[in-house]
Amino acid sequence: MSLWRRLARGVRALALRAAADRELSDEVAHFIDESTAAHIAGGMAPAEARRAAMLEIGNATVVREQVRGAGWESAVESLFTDLRYAGRVLRKSPVFTIVTMFVIALGTGAVTTIFSATNAMLLRPLPGARDASALVSIDRKHRNGKEGMSASYPFYAELRDKSHAFDGVAAWHDVPLTVTIGGAGTLAYGNAVSGNYFTVLGVRPEIGRFFAPDEDRTPLTHPVMVISDGFWRASFGADSSVIGRSVQVNGHPFTIIGVVPRAFRGVYIPLKSDAWVPAMMLPQLRPGHSLADVVDNPFRMFARLKPGVSRESARQETSVLTAAWVASGAEPMPWAKNYVDARLVPLSGLPEDATNAIVGFFFLLLGASALVLLIASVNVAALLSARAVARGREMAVRAALGARRGRLVRQLLTESLLLFALGATGGILIAVLATRALQQLPLPDEISLDLAPDYRVIAFALIVALVTGVVFGLAPALRAARTDISKRIRDDSPSGGVRSSTAGNALVVGQLALSLLLLVAAGLFLRALERGNRIDPGFDATGVSVATLNAESWGYDTVKAHAFFTALRARLEATAGVTTVSYTDVAPLTAQSSGGRMHLDGPDAAGSADASGPGTPVRANYVDAGFFAALHIPIVRGDPIQRRDDERSTKVAVINETLAAKIAADGNALGRTFTYDDEKITIAGIARDAKYAWLTEDRTPFVYFPIAQHWLPRQVVLVRGTLPDNQMALAIARAVQSIDRGLPSPVVTTLRDANSIVLLPQRVAAMVTGALGAIGLIMATVGLYGVISYSVNRRRREIGIRVALGARQTDVLGMVVREGMKLATLGVGAGLLLAAAATRLMAGLLFNVSPLDLVTFAGMSLLFLAIAFVSSYLPARRAAASDPMTALRTD
Amino acid sequence: MVRYPYRTPMEEQTTDVIQGTLDMLILKTLSLEPMHGFGISRRIEQVSRGVFKVNPGSLLTAFQRLERAGLIDAEWRQTENSRRAKFYKLTRAGRKQLDLETADWTRRVTAVARLLKAEG
Repeated sequence: MSLWRRLARGVRALALRAAADRELSDEVAHFIDESTAAHIAGGMAPAEARRAAMLEIGNATVVREQVRGAGWESAVESLFTDLRYAGRVLRKSPVFTIVTMFVIALGTGAVTTIFSATNAMLLRPLPGARDASALVSIDRKHRNGKEGMSASYPFYAELRDKSHAFDGVAAWHDVPLTVTIGGAGTLAYGNAVSGNYFTVLGVRPEIGRFFAPDEDRTPLTHPVMVISDGFWRASFGADSSVIGRSVQVNGHPFTIIGVVPRAFRGVYIPLKSDAWVPAMMLPQLRPGHSLADVVDNPFRMFARLKPGVSRESARQETSVLTAAWVASGAEPMPWAKNYVDARLVPLSGLPEDATNAIVGFFFLLLGASALVLLIASVNVAALLSARAVARGREMAVRAALGARRGRLVRQLLTESLLLFALGATGGILIAVLATRALQQLPLPDEISLDLAPDYRVIAFALIVALVTGVVFGLAPALRAARTDISKRIRDDSPSGGVRSSTAGNALVVGQLALSLLLLVAAGLFLRALERGNRIDPGFDATGVSVATLNAESWGYDTVKAHAFFTALRARLEATAGVTTVSYTDVAPLTAQSSGGRMHLDGPDAAGSADASGPGTPVRANYVDAGFFAALHIPIVRGDPIQRRDDERSTKVAVINETLAAKIAADGNALGRTFTYDDEKITIAGIARDAKYAWLTEDRTPFVYFPIAQHWLPRQVVLVRGTLPDNQMALAIARAVQSIDRGLPSPVVTTLRDANSIVLLPQRVAAMVTGALGAIGLIMATVGLYGVISYSVNRRRREIGIRVALGARQTDVLGMVVREGMKLATLGVGAGLLLAAAATRLMAGLLFNVSPLDLVTFAGMSLLFLAIAFVSSYLPARRAAASDPMTALRTD
Repeated sequence: MVRYPYRTPMEEQTTDVIQGTLDMLILKTLSLEPMHGFGISRRIEQVSRGVFKVNPGSLLTAFQRLERAGLIDAEWRQTENSRRAKFYKLTRAGRKQLDLETADWTRRVTAVARLLKAEG
């Protein structure tokens, strides 16, 4: 009651300030009248009585102010006054305001952009899910705690049925789908999910409904599908009559029952998700797969913790269940026996194994952007300080009129906070634009990023602005509000002389050092990029286009798929401008790898036999005839994979030189045999070493198997030709659809673009640190220029005297430039030390470019010194050119 | 010690009223009948036989404070000589507060008196 009453009165007083004031004046007037009357009654003359009453009450205005100041609303009111005043002051000096806001916007914009990306990738709970903090991802782990293993449906069912720690355990895996609407096929990134998937996530349908419990109990009985908001808009024009509509999915009729809200993007948010179908429909969508199969383990699991159950106790229960599952012997594969542990991590929207690398990378970028904010804030502090000096008289007058120091500081701080808030608004705008630009990065088709700022990012930007505003606005404010009035009023010259320039110098040196650090980092990343681009991958990607073709997702059986791939090869080979056509499981150098262990018959190069041992770990790929020709990979001995290597002929393989050297001392491993995946294989050829998945790999033992001997329904077509990229893409799409008009148009990219993914971290890092470093350099240059100009102005008289006494122009020039270069040298020195200490953090991304790379360090230092020279030469020339008489007369 | 939620302003140190007792004196004065500002000031002066002189500024500030705390209510009324004045009256909460403060005050005064007597 009391609080409410005080609040209500305060608000009323604020809103009806005039009425409240009048009431107060009336009361004071009445008081004086009564007092006068009392004095008259006591025998005083009326005029005298009135005077006495007035004397008693003192200054009526002071009384009114006293009463006014007693309520809480007066604090609010003075804040508004301060803000209004600050707004007026800032409007009065638009150049200062715009420059400062711009600098702050750049600084906060840099941090906010990176934070926005970090937030989108790592920090925010799974978008679209209810109470996402209770969601955990369940990963089955090797006893060594490192390698993980995804789940088979029976294992998932075991956990779902036997665990007690969760309000539901769900499973999903991605499955490419072809959705055929009115005869035209569309590629859709699908998820096969357990029936409780949406319930566990707590996602509610935008329209329609999600899966009912009975729709995920029996195989193949409920062909229903839920689609994403984006797919609904793109393929159905956001038509709500889509609910209940029947479409073909991988050649089978499915009914659309619901649309997912826009906010929900699936469980791994960087992967596109267009559609969801019950896992029980999988055998239809992926022929040959059975949910009862424990060897087939494509599923990922997540669960919602029961309220009050800790993640650790849930983990223990899951580990016990996993160990019991292994002990029960349900799984025949010997290698699975070691996966007896479980790990539970918050369901963050990223695969658990990718998180650490991404965290490190983002923290590197966040650190770099924080440096830019620091440089910007230092600039702003310098600007505010300069202004504080210029406003010394104003402050002195206000202090003389009775403003206390605290009040002045508060006013000045309000001004800088307003500046920072306005700047942060610009920063948020920059972040919106910059994240949009980042999303334009060349990424594989199945990946889509949403890095746009959300309310967390906006809050972050405002808090950053507030904190930096206080930290960097306080010192100038304190300095400006120094209250030795008489000195300030008397002292007309822009005072603060020596001390302020020392502080200014230190700030400039710091800025130079920090921006040098950033540009050294950018330079190192550029060097790494350049080195990465120069690394010979061992194949020739120029002129090669690739497209993934998933015959399974078209509802093709093996016979039909076989016929399709054969027909496509024939059509493409008949196309003018196409030189070579081949198929492969995985396009080279696209950050994907698979492999296994080979058991060699007979002794290896070191003379030891291992036919019964653990085998040699090798990486592998499945390729079709023409693969080596299409990629210009030389065959050093024997034969490449050929058309005759089909399912009826002897099982063969081509190995690389590294593996050949391991098998035979002279490298001639032709004709040797080994066992791989329980099959006897003969080595038919030896190919030159290449890079297979990543640029960093070195001398990897590698095996190529004929794709015709290991049937895969999903293949990547490789086409080398002389056509321009876009025409090649068109030719491939046309060839695919000329065989079956219902097929979705394939996503064709050049192999070069596909390969660029392996340099993505370097590219992003070089781009970001380069942009940040450039911003930092510009600010530092402006800072240096400002300091030198200021010092030249201050020393105008001194320079005038020197010139009058016979100093030549070059002497003056030299003197001023030396001053600038001294600062620059100090800054560069400090920056080099900082960089030497900091760049080792990036070593993992540098492809053996030394973190202390001489070219980068020396080059950036020279660049800085050159820029510093120019920015001190300009004011120096002005000083040298000035007429000594004018200089001496001023002041 | 009885507290109600407002700060004692610094200005009160300069009044002749013992620090912290102005509110109690106002409440006590209002417990007899509703009164306007000058009346209260006059009454305090008279009853204390001129010992306490109340600074009008402090008085008006105290009114606002007490009003905000819900201890007194104010309304504009005609005075006997038919002028408009702001009359204050005690609320139920104010009466309770007065009882508490009176008891507290008596306790202290007794204790101080006892101490002084012991010293003498």
